[in-house]
Amino acid sequence: MLRFALTRVAMALPTLLIVAVSVFVLIRLIPGDPASLMLGDLATPASIADLRARLGLDQSLFVQFGIWFGNLLKGDLGISINTQEPILPLILSRFWISAQIVLIAVFCASLVAVPAGVIAAWKQDSGLDLGLVTVATLLLSIPTFWLGLLLLLFFGLKLGWLPVVGYVSIGDDPWRGVLYLVMPILTLFLHEIGVLLRMARASTLEVLRLDYVTHARAKGLSEMAVLWRHAFKNAFGPTWTLIGLVLGNLLGGIAVVETVFTIPGLGRLLVDAIFARDYPVIQGCMLFVAFTYVLVNVVIDLCYPIFDPRVTAE
Amino acid sequence: MNRLLASACLLPLLAGPVLAQSLTVAVQADVRSINPGVNRDDGTDDFALQMVEGLVGYDEGGTPQPLLAEKVALSADGKTYTFTLRKGVKFHNGAELSSADVLWSWNRYMDAKTEWRCTSDFDGRSGLKVESVEAPDAQTIVMKLDKPNALFLDSLARTDCAMTAILHKDSVKPDGTFDKPIGTGPYKFGEWKRSEYFTMTAFEGYASPKTDGKADGYVGSKRPLLKEVKFLVVKDPATVKAGLTSGALDLSEILPSDVAEIRKLPTLEVVTAATAVRQVLLIQTRDAVMGNQKLRQAIAAALDMDEVVAAASDNLGQTNTSPIHPGSSYFGAVEKQGHKFDPARAKKLLAEAGYKGEKVVILANKRPRVPSFPAAVVVQSMLQAAGINADIEVLDWATQLDRYNKGNYQMQSFSFSARFDPALAFEQFAGPKDKQPRKVWDNPQAQEKIERLMSLSDRAERQKLVDELHKAVIDEVPLIFMFNGVDAIAHSKRITGFKPWQSKLRMWEVTAAK
Repeated sequence: MLRFALTRVAMALPTLLIVAVSVFVLIRLIPGDPASLMLGDLATPASIADLRARLGLDQSLFVQFGIWFGNLLKGDLGISINTQEPILPLILSRFWISAQIVLIAVFCASLVAVPAGVIAAWKQDSGLDLGLVTVATLLLSIPTFWLGLLLLLFFGLKLGWLPVVGYVSIGDDPWRGVLYLVMPILTLFLHEIGVLLRMARASTLEVLRLDYVTHARAKGLSEMAVLWRHAFKNAFGPTWTLIGLVLGNLLGGIAVVETVFTIPGLGRLLVDAIFARDYPVIQGCMLFVAFTYVLVNVVIDLCYPIFDPRVTAE
Repeated sequence: MNRLLASACLLPLLAGPVLAQSLTVAVQADVRSINPGVNRDDGTDDFALQMVEGLVGYDEGGTPQPLLAEKVALSADGKTYTFTLRKGVKFHNGAELSSADVLWSWNRYMDAKTEWRCTSDFDGRSGLKVESVEAPDAQTIVMKLDKPNALFLDSLARTDCAMTAILHKDSVKPDGTFDKPIGTGPYKFGEWKRSEYFTMTAFEGYASPKTDGKADGYVGSKRPLLKEVKFLVVKDPATVKAGLTSGALDLSEILPSDVAEIRKLPTLEVVTAATAVRQVLLIQTRDAVMGNQKLRQAIAAALDMDEVVAAASDNLGQTNTSPIHPGSSYFGAVEKQGHKFDPARAKKLLAEAGYKGEKVVILANKRPRVPSFPAAVVVQSMLQAAGINADIEVLDWATQLDRYNKGNYQMQSFSFSARFDPALAFEQFAGPKDKQPRKVWDNPQAQEKIERLMSLSDRAERQKLVDELHKAVIDEVPLIFMFNGVDAIAHSKRITGFKPWQSKLRMWEVTAAK
C-alpha cells in the first residue's frame, strides 16, 4: 500500500514539473507588470526600472526560473512581491481556511447526496425520483455566488442569525469561528449535493440493471439488502471518483464563495495575486493546487479497495 | 428621587452622540504594509495618514499648509525653508517631537535601504534636490534646495509619500527592520491581520493643530473622537451592501449605482463628494489615425459631455474638461471653458480630417469602482452617432496600465490619480514620448511652460501659465478630460462628523451614538 502511494506521488513529479514550467512561462506572457502596478499611473520609466531591478524582474527568464526552481527544490517558494510575505506559510495558512470549508461541505454533501441518489435510482420515474432530480438540477444550476448572496440575505439580513461580513478563525474563537463558516459551507454543500446526487443516481441505475441484481432479487433478498449490500457497493465507485475530483477542484478554487463571504482563503489569494501580477504567489499557489489535486486523487485511489475488494493496491 | 435625578442626568448622554465608540469600516483591499510611503497604494496611504503626520499637509483645497510645523519661512533667494515645529506635539509612545526626530526621519527616507517611494523626488533625480537638512535647535529644521522650486512643500505633503511623515526612531527595530508606525497622528496603530482587517485606536495625547471641530484636509481640527476603528477587508460590493444594511458595517464606500437604493434605507445615510481624480479619454497622437488633430477635435465636438458624465457617474459627477480640479484655487473662468458639444462642427471637422471610417479602438477596464467601462460605452455610442467607427476593447487593469505605459493604444478610458498643484496636474500627462512613452501630450512649448510653472512662486504668473496650458490642451486635444472622480460613502445614521475628501476615510472629528 505504502509503495503504491509513493509510486503514485512519484509519478506526479513530471506533472508538477510541467505545471511549474508552464505557469512560470504563461503568467509572464500575459501583459502587465507587477512593478508598474505597484507604482500606478505616476510611475516614471526610471522608477519602474528601479523597482523591477529590486524585484529581480530585470533578469532573463532563464535566470529567474533558475533562481525560483532552485529555491523550490529547497522548499522555498519565495516572497510575495506585493506583501513581502514568505509564500509557503502564506499558502498553508490560507489553504487551512479553504480546506475547512471544502472538506466539511463535501463530506456533508456526500452523506446526503449519495443515499438520496441511490433512493432516486431505486424509485426511478416515481414522484420522489422526479423531485430529487429536479432539486439536484436546480442546485447544480444556481451559480455559487448567487446562492451565497441569497443565503446571506436570508440568514444574515432577514433572520439575523449569522454574521454577514468578516471572518474569525476557529483557533481564535471556536464558537464565532463556526458561525462565520456556516454560510460558505452551506453554499458549497448545496451546490455539491446537485453534482453528487446525479452521479450517485446514474451509477446506481446502471448497476440495478445488471443480471446479478436480478439474481439477488430472485433469491428473495429484501430490497434493502439488494440495494445496500449488492448494488450500492458497486455503484459507489464512480461517485467516489467524482468526490475526489470535486475535492481536488474545490480545494484550490472557491474564490467566488470566499469573496462573497469575505473569507481569506487560498482561492482569493490566487485571484488577488493574478490581478496584481504577483508572480511568485501565482506560481506557488498553482503548484500547491496541482500537488493537492494529485494527493487527493492518490488518497481516493487508495480507498477503492474498501468499497470494492476486486480493486487492490497491487 | 436620587435615581430620578441620576436618570435625568444620563438622558442627554444617551440621546446625543457618545464619545469613544468603536466603528467597523469596510475597505475593498488590505493594506500593503504599515511602513508609511514604502510598500503602498492609496488604501495603505489612507491608513498610514490617520497615524502619522508630516511637517506640512494638504488642506481641503490641496494646498500644503503647516502641520507639525507651526510656521514655514522661505528665504529671499527661494532656496532655504525654515520650519518651526509646534510645541507640545507627542509621539504615540509619549516622547515629545523635536527637530532630532525630523532629522532622523529625513535621513532614513534618503537612505536607499528604506525603499521610500519618494527618495528620487528629493535627491535630484527628478529635478528637485534637497542639498542639506539641519537642526539648529530643538524646534527648528532648515532645509536647503539647490535651486528654487515651487513644488517643494507640495512634494513634502504628497499622500503617496505618506506626507514625508515624521516617525519616532522606535518605529524601527534594532536590526533596522520596520516594526510599526510610531507617529504623531490622531490614531495609534492597533492590529493588522493580513487579508482580514486592520485597526487603530484613539491617541489620547494627540495635539490637534486646531480644535474648532472643522476638518480641513490633513490640517485643521483632527481630534480622535472614536475609541477604535476596525477596517474590514470586504471585496464584494453586494456583501458591503448587506453588511451596511444589517449594521455589521458602519461605513463604507459604495458603488455609484447603489447610491439611490441605499439612500432609501432608514438606518443609512449617503454622502458624496467630488475628488481630484480625473476621468479622461487618452488619445495616442502618434497613432496613424489619431495623429490627425482635426479628427481629435471632431471627437471632442461629438461628445455631449454632460450626458457622458451623467451616465458614467450615475448622475453624481459634474462635467470638467480641464486638467485642474474644481476645488483648486487655480480653477477659474478660463478652466471652466472647455469642449463644446457641436455635432455639426464634428461632421465638418471629420470631413476636413479626411476620415474614411478607419476603426478607432477605445481601451477600458471593468474595475467595479472605476467608471472606465461605462464612460467608454457612452463615448462609443456618441462617436458612432457622429460617424466614427468606434469600438471598445475591455482589458484587465494590469494589461491596460501596461498598454498605457508603453503608449500602445489609440484611445483609452482612463483615470488619472489626484494631483493638486497645477504644475503636477499637467506634468502627469505632458512630456517627451521618446523618453517616456506613457506621456500623452508631447509639445515642447507646453513643456517649457510646465517647467516654469514648477519653479515659479508668483500666484498671478502661475495662473496665467495655467490658463494658457488649459487652452492649449482644449485646442490640441491630446486627451479629453471628462469629469472628476466621485466618492460615494454610505454610513450608519449613528455617525456624525464624517466628511468624504479625496477618497480618504478620515476618522478624526467623527463621532458615533451608542
